[in-house]
Amino acid sequence: MNENIFTTVCPGCSIACGMYIREKDDGTFDIDWRKDAVVNAGKLCRFGVRLSANLKNATSKVDGNEVELSDAVTAAGKAIGDGATFVSVGNTTCAEHLALMKLAESKGAVVNTGMGAFSSIPAECHPTMGVGIPFDAIESAKKIVLFIDPYEQYPLLVRRILAAKKNGATVTAVGWKAVSLADDNKTIDPANYESDLALDSDSVIIAELNPSTDPERVMVLLNLAKASGAAIMFMKPFVNAVGCDLASKKTEQKSLDQIIAEINDGSIKTLVCLDSDLIEIMPDETAVREALGKLDNLIAITSRASAIADVANIVVATEPLYKKAGTIVNAEGRALHNSGESTDGIDAIGAMMGQPVGMYDEIHATLLATLGIDEVDERVVPAYEKPEYKAMDANPTAEAVETALVYAGGPFFWTGMVDDNDFVEMNLDMVTANSLLKGIPAKITSDKGEVAVKYKVSDVAPGVVLSNAKLPMTTGMVTSVTVSR
Amino acid sequence: MDIGDCYVGWATDEDIRTRGASGGLVTAMLAAALEKGLVEAVVVLKKLGEFEAVPVVTSDPEEVKAAAGSMHSVPIVLSRYLDYGTKVALPAKPCDARSTLEQAKRGQVDIDTTYIVGLNCGGTMHPAVTREMLDVMYKLDPEDIEGEEIDKGKLIFETKDGEEHAIKIDELEEEGYGRRESCQYCAVNIPTMADIACGNWGVIGDLAGKGTFVEINTKKGIEILQNAIDAGAVEITPADDKGKAIRAKVDGAMMNVAAAANDKFLAPIEGSHLDYYMNALSDCINCGACKTVCPVCACGEGAKCTDFSSASDTYKMSLFHLVRFVHLMDSCIGCGQCTDVCPVDIPLTHIYQRFAVPMQEEFEYKPGMDMTTPPFFGVDLVEEGH
Ligand code: SF4
Repeated sequence: MNENIFTTVCPGCSIACGMYIREKDDGTFDIDWRKDAVVNAGKLCRFGVRLSANLKNATSKVDGNEVELSDAVTAAGKAIGDGATFVSVGNTTCAEHLALMKLAESKGAVVNTGMGAFSSIPAECHPTMGVGIPFDAIESAKKIVLFIDPYEQYPLLVRRILAAKKNGATVTAVGWKAVSLADDNKTIDPANYESDLALDSDSVIIAELNPSTDPERVMVLLNLAKASGAAIMFMKPFVNAVGCDLASKKTEQKSLDQIIAEINDGSIKTLVCLDSDLIEIMPDETAVREALGKLDNLIAITSRASAIADVANIVVATEPLYKKAGTIVNAEGRALHNSGESTDGIDAIGAMMGQPVGMYDEIHATLLATLGIDEVDERVVPAYEKPEYKAMDANPTAEAVETALVYAGGPFFWTGMVDDNDFVEMNLDMVTANSLLKGIPAKITSDKGEVAVKYKVSDVAPGVVLSNAKLPMTTGMVTSVTVSR
Repeated sequence: MDIGDCYVGWATDEDIRTRGASGGLVTAMLAAALEKGLVEAVVVLKKLGEFEAVPVVTSDPEEVKAAAGSMHSVPIVLSRYLDYGTKVALPAKPCDARSTLEQAKRGQVDIDTTYIVGLNCGGTMHPAVTREMLDVMYKLDPEDIEGEEIDKGKLIFETKDGEEHAIKIDELEEEGYGRRESCQYCAVNIPTMADIACGNWGVIGDLAGKGTFVEINTKKGIEILQNAIDAGAVEITPADDKGKAIRAKVDGAMMNVAAAANDKFLAPIEGSHLDYYMNALSDCINCGACKTVCPVCACGEGAKCTDFSSASDTYKMSLFHLVRFVHLMDSCIGCGQCTDVCPVDIPLTHIYQRFAVPMQEEFEYKPGMDMTTPPFFGVDLVEEGH
């Protein structure tokens, strides 16, 4: 009676909380708390706690039929020709991402990390957009401004912000919903950020960069940081988004919207997604499914059974993240070692380009060189250069709709996993204006359709219907809707 | 050998004697239990670093031997890792032992096949706090630490250069470091509810530092110790009265310290109680970790606290918490696990104890102290477990 215990990180977001996984003989697993983990002192949010109930391993398939991994790899190797498009948003190790980059290079392509904002914003800003600041620095900030809801989106930031408050920091939240830890919850016109927020070099700005983030909005925040001298941190929804971005630097990338558009216009025929489920990641699930259906070849190299595995022509099922040999780089830029030793995923990608097994060591050395470190030590955040950048002209898209359904995001949202989140939130004015009754679902209607959903009264901005679960009638992260009884 | 007998014992194997705490008796006893087939498995803490260890359930005696030595910076309750029906032994701090008994009363642990090797405990520390404490109070690099022990009220760290660095625990706790809050007010230091209670208190004279004081509490206690003696793994000698008296005195002194901490930390709430609880719980992110990690909760997935609660129908103080505060009044042992894992640092153990202590006093029920008194909330052992 001996157990397999892995020291790993939670795959839920770019905080990358340390945890143990105890794997049983039948392949099922339990999570356990790693109290000595530097990132989270062993604490986990609901996503991490419920991981074993939600994470299911994928099965290799070709044209819907279950096959051996080697057969799926052979089929993928044949299907991936020149002109294929590659996506890896950062849900796997740096090593696997680098292996995919090699495969993409061999086909004259690059790997797209899906963060469209990187392509639209000058390269000199990328280091600041990519790597955040050590979480300790949040605790010592004098002023924190939140453009995220930490409770929903990045739960393990809450304790850092509370610690900062204990140390005397003031917290301002600029978001869709009032957050209880903020001293001040505000709605501010981006044009007035600088004057209203009055930040300085002891301040920290916490925002999010996800595949749907408006680049103009990122620019406004970068301008704010530059003008005030405040540190800025863009959290990312994917565990290793930062590592994958660092590995992919200097390559021209397409946004996910662009990729979908090119599938629709027929210029992309083969799409290879490495642990990147566009059905889950993109807000308009129907549109994504339609587009993916037009591909000649959809190849999902995936460690978990997610929606894309049901529609892909070829599913190359790799080992779960906790078993993989490799490194994860979290939002701080901290390199975290996975105790797993399996290189099955890397070897599978290698085999698709005719490489013999055993690429891991070479790839890992490349990663260390990219990070400028000799070894992975979770207690030391590598030094990252963040060059000065120029202020930019930025005009964020005004979300000027009377009533909008807004996705807050969060680990369950980005992974399409089930949670106790089958309700929307709206403020009391909206509830009374639409004569909603307690216990009777609200009808939310868009151009695309209607759903009846439970609602909860919260301190949400006027006109906003906030949701953490994906609803079928949405067209984007913000969708114009009407509410009725 | 009889119930109530006290001995001082040590491992015969020199390596275990040197690496294990106080002569390595506990390690030798657990390894011998596996080697001689008394148990199928042992739950131990597998050391991964100076402040990090992970519980493993093993049938490999070498893994048990490798786990020798105490780790005060690994505050984990091991009873959660017990599997019903497996013949198993576990080293048990009082909270490990008490939660094992509470689980047994709820049909989750088979007490007849579980050998509880009790360890005296003066408290444990959270590894993150320990690291900060080393930096701030000891001015030491945590990576430079090679061992630690508690002796005569001092917490002593040994660095790789062989130097010892000691600070009084009182002094550390005044600065907010040292033992976890729940350990500071825990008044159970000797696990009298375990099959056998082991520790270094009361080991005097030539054997000081080289032997473990052992008190036999049950027939299983006799079995596991006798098994180790028969295997040639341990040797014992009767404890003398002076040693017994010293042990009782240390225990008494620790209880007084705990009582003072209890008065300090669990002082009556000032002002509105509702405000107190709403503020304390307002940052809850509904993760459920406190339930998952609770070593006395036997409810599993379909629990009252989760069934009654939903994120869509809650305001600051969720039904989840309210149900749990009440439901655990008869079983909360104040082990501190819920506080340790709370992602927003709510002092949950503290709150549970505010509910549990007065009720446990009223019902004259101290959970996990023996198998004879049933909990005051009804449990249907057939439906809830085995
Ligand atoms: S989802 Fe993010 S915050 Fe939650 S446990 Fe996982 S890594 Fe930590």
